[in-house]
Amino acid sequence: MTTPPTYTEQPTLSRRQLLQACLVGGGLAVSGFSLLHWLTGPRLTAQTFIGQAKIYEADLANLIRQGFQELGITPLEIKGKRILLKPNLVEPHQSLSHINTHPLVVRGAVEAFLSLGAASVVVAEGPGHRHDTLLVLEESGLADVLYEDRIPFQDLNIMDGVVMPNLGGQTRMASLTFPRIVKEVDWVVSLAKMKTHHWAGATLSMKNFFGVMPGNYYGWPKNVLHQAGIPQSILDINATLKPHFAIVDGIIGMEGDGPIMGTPVQSGVLVMGRNLPAVDATCCRIMGINPDKIEYLRKADQWLGPIHESLIEQRGESWRTVHRPFALVPEIPAHQGLRSSQL
Amino acid sequence: MEYRPLIELHGDLNFSLMIQKPFRHALELLQSWQQPNGGFPYHSGEEARPDATAWAIISMSAYEFDPESCNRGRAYLASQQADDGRVSIALSHPEASWPTPLAIFAWESFPQYQEAQSRAVDYLIGFTGRHFPTPDLSIIGHDTAILGWPWIADTHSWVVPTSLALLALQVVGLSTHPRAIAGQQMLINRQLTNGGWNFGSTTVFRRELHPLPECSAIALQALAGTTPIREVKRSLDYLLPELPHLRTPISLGWALLGLGAWGLKPANTEELARASLQLQERYGPYPLPSLALLLCAVKASHGLHSLFRSLPQETPASSTRN
Repeated sequence: MTTPPTYTEQPTLSRRQLLQACLVGGGLAVSGFSLLHWLTGPRLTAQTFIGQAKIYEADLANLIRQGFQELGITPLEIKGKRILLKPNLVEPHQSLSHINTHPLVVRGAVEAFLSLGAASVVVAEGPGHRHDTLLVLEESGLADVLYEDRIPFQDLNIMDGVVMPNLGGQTRMASLTFPRIVKEVDWVVSLAKMKTHHWAGATLSMKNFFGVMPGNYYGWPKNVLHQAGIPQSILDINATLKPHFAIVDGIIGMEGDGPIMGTPVQSGVLVMGRNLPAVDATCCRIMGINPDKIEYLRKADQWLGPIHESLIEQRGESWRTVHRPFALVPEIPAHQGLRSSQL
Repeated sequence: MEYRPLIELHGDLNFSLMIQKPFRHALELLQSWQQPNGGFPYHSGEEARPDATAWAIISMSAYEFDPESCNRGRAYLASQQADDGRVSIALSHPEASWPTPLAIFAWESFPQYQEAQSRAVDYLIGFTGRHFPTPDLSIIGHDTAILGWPWIADTHSWVVPTSLALLALQVVGLSTHPRAIAGQQMLINRQLTNGGWNFGSTTVFRRELHPLPECSAIALQALAGTTPIREVKRSLDYLLPELPHLRTPISLGWALLGLGAWGLKPANTEELARASLQLQERYGPYPLPSLALLLCAVKASHGLHSLFRSLPQETPASSTRN
């Protein structure tokens, strides 16, 4: 159920070739990164797409389809597939829409996948802080969209679990208990929100999967994962789940004391891609955050995906054109030293 | 331990026939989901779960509805109990022992389950969350050292599991046990300055979190009868205006119970509950625990305690626990 990462095949150097390369040191300064590739062999690469949308009432389904096209996702690939969309609904409150993936992004994603021939699309979430999931749907505004469009929803917090060996090995958890639905779909899609986070630095498509883990087994909040280590748990979940795609809602994100108490910030973008570390690294650049300073991204680099700019082929808008630094809180340790010096 | 009937007794043997149609229909629906092993699932056709089973028993017993079905449910719960007394969400996940208080409710007043209930109580008394001295008040605003109960073993204590455990200790007459006292203190400590409770944090990086109606209501329910009203007035003041906006069964159900426990059950309770039941036309059938909770909220005159014959009292047997 996973999409294999793309490797950029680079020829390895013989000792003689390496010596010759060193002799032309003047050229190394110019092409140092290329030499690093040569020295270390194949490198993970990925593509991400940035699409601009100033408002949620824009034609988001069309924008997402455009992203699919740019990323080489064809109707042939999607036709007949069962899609699970996992939005971020950690703790909705009425009138605080910048906390959650916006319902119109969910609607747009559903329409886009169905238009490419998906057999089914289900929206599923296990809210991290609230065990009244139905109230979460109502307060987030998602209930109306689901009802109007007849989109099925599953509460992951109370779903029967399937135990899977922990393929990440970053925490002491030998296994992870996922909701059984992850075994019943073909694609798992992270439909995340672009936010700062006071424990993890940033919460994007990878962190969003905390909400997949059923509250029945992990609690409200998912404190088992906090105890095991947040960056480590993010990596374990993603390494084991092997999600297929990510769409990050940065039309209005959250800066400051995220993921709940921060303030709205308009970036006007959707960021998409097959590779989640690459998507999240691109989001970080848009947010003015150095992805290498986010622990889980740094550890994911060249394991679960690329995070360095030179290894991420950018489609759609350049991140530089939509760059809008998110406010960080100096008093929050996880925010210290995150600011990117790029640009 | 003293036995007390789970339900408020009514002289009319045909009481179950007097249940209003939408609530009777809801009872019949959850009854129909019972599985051959006696357990109840969240939804029809799914695997039975201890928490769903306990809620089914509590609600059906409250209405004196199908005692035989309830008995089979109690037997199922006993089959799910571990040697140390805990009742977990699944035998494969003993660390998720948060349904234990619910099993204590379901076994209350039934002599054949006294031993099982007693072992569950002993487990609760010996079980706590991960606690530690508050590292830095500028980061975490609550007192992390006060003992409560966690959702999952080896994690911190939070509002909902602590409230459920407190209620269970109260039901079996242990409301003055040191663990119950500490649990009450823990809930008071986690109360937000402006009223209500979040899932269990108060301030993080000096920012006060938002109150949640479902957590606020269950905490109010757990503190009723043991806490002066002045200590929770601000939370009652938060929850009362929220009530008219609550439609979903978990938040509405706990709000009716929590307010009812303080003598504030609204006169239009049944109307509110019917409106909530009608929402199923929009969202589909509720999970069994949600449905059962709503039914309990309709039936309980003064909070969850009133589904029992008497309010919690210390008994000679229970007072020997430590």
